[in-house]
Amino acid sequence: MNVFPTPFQTRRAFLGRVSHGVGAVALASLLEKSSSLHAASARPAARGVVYPLPLPQKAKRVIWLTMAGGPSQFETFDPKPKLAELHGEAMPESLTRGQQLAQLQGQRLVCHAPQFPFAKFGKNQTEICSLFPHIGSVVNEICLIRSMTTDAINHDPAHMFMNTGSQIAGRPSMGAWVNYGLGSEAENLPGFVVMVSTGPGRSPQPIATRQWSSGFLPSRFQGVQLNGRGDAVHYLTNPGRVSRAQQGADVQAITALNRQHDAFVHDPEIATRIAQYEMAFQMQASVPELTDLRGEAARTLALYGCTPGDGSFAANCLLARRLAERGVRFIQLYHRDWDHHSLLKEELPLRAKEVDQACAALITDLKQRGMLDDTLVVWTGEFGRTPMSQGNKGTVGRDHHNKSMSMWLAGGGVQRGRVYGATDELGYAAMENICTVHDLHATMLHQLGIRPDAFTVKFQGLDAKLTGVEGGGVIQGILA
Amino acid sequence: MTSWLNASFSGLSRAAAGRQAVAVIVSVARRHGDRRRPYALFALLAAGALAVSARGEDTFFAQRVAPIFEQKCVACHGEKKQKGKLRLDSFAQLMRGGEGGGVVKAGAPKASELFIRVTMDPEDEDFMPADSKPPLTPDEVKVLELWIAAGASETTSLAAIKGAPALAARKAPVAALAPDWHPRAAQIAQFEKSTGLRLVPRSAVPTDGLVLRTASAPTRCDDAALAQLAPLADLVVEAELARTKITDVGLVSLATFSNLCALDLTRTAVTSGGLGTLVPLQKLESINLTSTEVDDTGVARLKQLPALRKTWVFGTRVSTVAEDPAAAK
Repeated sequence: MNVFPTPFQTRRAFLGRVSHGVGAVALASLLEKSSSLHAASARPAARGVVYPLPLPQKAKRVIWLTMAGGPSQFETFDPKPKLAELHGEAMPESLTRGQQLAQLQGQRLVCHAPQFPFAKFGKNQTEICSLFPHIGSVVNEICLIRSMTTDAINHDPAHMFMNTGSQIAGRPSMGAWVNYGLGSEAENLPGFVVMVSTGPGRSPQPIATRQWSSGFLPSRFQGVQLNGRGDAVHYLTNPGRVSRAQQGADVQAITALNRQHDAFVHDPEIATRIAQYEMAFQMQASVPELTDLRGEAARTLALYGCTPGDGSFAANCLLARRLAERGVRFIQLYHRDWDHHSLLKEELPLRAKEVDQACAALITDLKQRGMLDDTLVVWTGEFGRTPMSQGNKGTVGRDHHNKSMSMWLAGGGVQRGRVYGATDELGYAAMENICTVHDLHATMLHQLGIRPDAFTVKFQGLDAKLTGVEGGGVIQGILA
Repeated sequence: MTSWLNASFSGLSRAAAGRQAVAVIVSVARRHGDRRRPYALFALLAAGALAVSARGEDTFFAQRVAPIFEQKCVACHGEKKQKGKLRLDSFAQLMRGGEGGGVVKAGAPKASELFIRVTMDPEDEDFMPADSKPPLTPDEVKVLELWIAAGASETTSLAAIKGAPALAARKAPVAALAPDWHPRAAQIAQFEKSTGLRLVPRSAVPTDGLVLRTASAPTRCDDAALAQLAPLADLVVEAELARTKITDVGLVSLATFSNLCALDLTRTAVTSGGLGTLVPLQKLESINLTSTEVDDTGVARLKQLPALRKTWVFGTRVSTVAEDPAAAK
């Protein structure tokens, strides 16, 4: 929902707004639209700041699957027989010297064998942990990167880095960047939607809402969290006996007041608030339609392996597809509880079971509907885990690690059935085709049609960009 | 019909690929830093024709080596500029060397200045091509290496040097997908305003065509809106009509979209009968019929579309296509 003709909330935006005389039309068309009288007053959806796109768009939208906690690459996508051979022996100091560790700092570092066998899948006989047979079954669609690295070794900064390109909170999240750049395609849904799921049982570390903040971009670009269980959006339904028309009249009146005040003080956050009221009003109609899965075939539900409304990662994956169909630009799903300092052998298979079928189903479903070609799916944790065991937290697990992690992408103009990059024999550090989070961001922007290094916003005297000061290089080797 | 299984890339993507490659190279080069000494040896600029004197068409030098110089080096080391007093626009010039002497030592790539300069750390100020110009690809480096190792001769035949990387398929000249939309910008704005739909340029290249976007409010797009698009029909290369209200009547309008490459009709009321009207779309490469009432007869009608490569029929009555991805493996 665009309220400004210009995308930004600065002096420039204000001047732009005045010169275009906008603001007045904002809500005028709202009620008309909702009563499906449109043509004359209809406004096209918001246009992004990057227009026209410098590069042809390979991906129109992104579905980002965040495995929060940091899945171990040794029990997912990076087979390391040598590590098994050295199980129980000291980790070579030549590798680990100088490395900062989260919870193993100063401890004796001992090799810990991969805990589950790997199996070969797909046309290239790609080795994937046998806990992920469904993902294995779609490996021909996937581009697996075994040489990802990150800077951070603690959860919150690592998420921050993965989401914003900076470990320090306050930068815009990538979903905000993407919507700022491309504009939101959806008129009655937010352009950036977040959903969080947790398996039953443990209570993992929380995911802070600042992970989908819009940072210094206008707050209408921030992620909006939908709940997988119960009301998708809290307090969205009208109280009994309040009709849609009444509610519309209320919103209109409030907006009129807001506009009046805005005309006086010119606070861009008021414009944001107007847009949010408008969006919320639209969502009162669009969200129930979105979450109503009665139209989904039984075989689709079976494909994902979910019960509608169960709040599972699988149900969220299905909703992600539905959001994608409805023009939502950036969809981020978090599945928590991958932080296996302990109970690695006991807990990780449960997480695998919670996501394996759903991830594969999402790819299969997008593909059969002709949407995978232009949807970029990304599966990643916030960091990897150590090849060394951690025993100081009870049963054996692995510590956080930033020198190696595995992740995958699918669709969106990325090569299919590809394995890219490699770690050393013990999986300690990425060795071949080392990728950084900045590179990943750059690649994503590139596939969306944006030049990563030219996509900047002036902030505190710098040309701030998602790919950070260091910049990121598009990972050419994985592009189709 | 191979349905979604077919992953071959369309002309649309191919045309795009050429430009993309350029974009990418720039970004890579930038990453490698841009402090370079001004007297640089090589430089970029693919343009500019140059006379590489090739005796005999089938020599390795003429076929494989000279084109690399042409593309990556002669803009600075050619007829117009001779940085470092080096010219690479002919075998003789190459062998003459630059101000530092010879640049090729036959049989010894690693001792040849030419080879050293293109393979050193790109951050090094002596690295070539200089000034963040596109570096040689690994394949190109390999070609140089093989050629020097084999004696750096002008006359060695193409077949005599084994193991050279296959030539990348010649990129077809980037063809216009549609007429330049700029002259009709006002009409486009008017259409957007009156219908609430969007006509988005595919890229900054003005002849890349427009994408008709309706996802913001699919219910706004109906047969009448498509009819309004008639004066702009030739600009549209992609029509995203999923979940819109269009019917077979709208397909009649669509049949005049002469440059249409991709059409998404997911969950619309179009029928098999209506699909027959799309036959004039000579450039249509993909059509998405997911969740429509289309059946085998409709898909049969599409067989007349010469460019069609992908058809999605998930959730339709079409029986002839393997829908189950597991079964299709």
